[in-house]
Amino acid sequence: MINLINVRKVFNAGKPNEFSAIRGINLKIIPRNVTVFMGPSGSGKTTLLSLIGCMARPTAGRIYLMEKELTSLPERFLTEVRRKTFGFIFQQFNLVKGISVLENVMLPAYPVGEPRTSLEQRALDLLDLLNIGEKAGTKIEWISGGQAQRVAVARALINNPAVIIADEPTAHLDTKLSLELVNILGRLKEDGKTVLIASHDPLVCRSEIVDHVIQCRDGKIDGQEL
Amino acid sequence: MIFHPAIIALYMSSLLMGLMILYAASYGVRIQRLWDITSGSDLQLILERRTYLISTILTYVFAFELISFFLYIYTADHLHTLFVGAMCAAGTLKVNGYGYPALILKMVNFMAAGLWLIMNYADNQGYDYPLIKKKYLLLLVVTPLVLAEVFLQTKYFLLLHPNIITSCCGTLFSATNKTLTGDIAALPPVPMEFAFYMILTANAAAGICFYLKNRGGYLLGGLSFAQFIISIMAILSFISPYFYELPTHHCPFCILQREYGYIGYPLYAALFGSAVSGMGVGMLMPFQNIKSLAETVPSFQKRLALVSVILTIAFMGIVTYQILFTDFILQS
Repeated sequence: MINLINVRKVFNAGKPNEFSAIRGINLKIIPRNVTVFMGPSGSGKTTLLSLIGCMARPTAGRIYLMEKELTSLPERFLTEVRRKTFGFIFQQFNLVKGISVLENVMLPAYPVGEPRTSLEQRALDLLDLLNIGEKAGTKIEWISGGQAQRVAVARALINNPAVIIADEPTAHLDTKLSLELVNILGRLKEDGKTVLIASHDPLVCRSEIVDHVIQCRDGKIDGQEL
Repeated sequence: MIFHPAIIALYMSSLLMGLMILYAASYGVRIQRLWDITSGSDLQLILERRTYLISTILTYVFAFELISFFLYIYTADHLHTLFVGAMCAAGTLKVNGYGYPALILKMVNFMAAGLWLIMNYADNQGYDYPLIKKKYLLLLVVTPLVLAEVFLQTKYFLLLHPNIITSCCGTLFSATNKTLTGDIAALPPVPMEFAFYMILTANAAAGICFYLKNRGGYLLGGLSFAQFIISIMAILSFISPYFYELPTHHCPFCILQREYGYIGYPLYAALFGSAVSGMGVGMLMPFQNIKSLAETVPSFQKRLALVSVILTIAFMGIVTYQILFTDFILQS
């Protein structure tokens, strides 16, 4: 259970260009469900996911992961939580060019110190699961958009996180690839993962894998559908 | 004021330290008054983030405090040639009325700084700022002492003029002097040797016991403090005469000079280090049962106890080597 209590996020506080991205959100996220944050550009979806995923800190309010309070955690503890609990799929995928698909997938697990052979095997298993095993040795810049999407998913799963956070994952994909991604996310839900998606793509929001739709507008929750 | 590089370094850095500790103390006051970990208010979150900056500033301030103690003694020793009558740091510090009070405060602040750094390290191991209020309360106690040290040291340097006639260490630490140092220097050597070796052995044993069984932390802390006091008395009473091979010379500063292989520096570093680490073990005892520190504090205390034991043995080893391998014999 992820619990947000009166969370606010202000950028450039006290300056002329001060901007309130999140304005006092209270929210409970149900585990092992797919929750979609839906809303227009600038509604605070990405900021909210960054706060939940411990990539940014709120200006006020508290975020609880199970019983653990996250917002007061010193950075060295937050890194551990981020690594073990959350897997990220970014809008632009943010894969590292110049290295192979396999190395990209293994990258988030390097700080854990797992022996390379077992880590490599796990990464290969994930790539096989996502039907991209044959591209393991290929450099990132040589693969297609659809393949990059699956590499991004594999990378998000390498540390076996409980929560997958996907920010506009279908923004640069055609319908076929978008549906493929939705299917992958559905499989992750079946495996017991909590999936959080920020999207305004109807194909994602109206998908049958989605359990909970939260409508965001102007940094607030405008409505919820279960 | 004498424009010597070491004096300028100490003078400027102490002013900087004073400013930094004042800034940190102002946050210490805010933390004492406003800290509430259960609150998610803007202010609480700002305080939580600001503690990283304050903690980093203070780590540097107190780390320098540890170094400045030795730099101060080194400077005083180095400048003794400028003052008529001075033979070592003892004479230089006596040039005006601020040298010795500044030295005593530096010793006190060395201990306080060491203990604060230990508490800060322990606090940083917990995820919920478990020692935050205690840490900043200690800071508020230490701040006036550091500011007093800055004041005394500044006055000392400002009133330091060359060619002032001062006393030599032979006079200042003479056993015939009717002063506290004179009375300590006049203590009978054999009972002092007995007390010295008893306290060092007991402290080392307590340290080993804590390291192996995680028991006796308070005892180790108390013994470390007692060891420090008795060792300072022992240096004045019988240790320094063994180094000088002269029964009437009790100066605790001449051993810092080249003629004695600068042996005073490792000797004092071992003594002060042993005291701080041993007392640190005792100071952390009440925090062993805090949930977020239950795993980390005992292992940290074990490391401190080990450091304390090693430094105690090193201190004892330096003294014993000199006593055993010299032709000089000091008897009551």
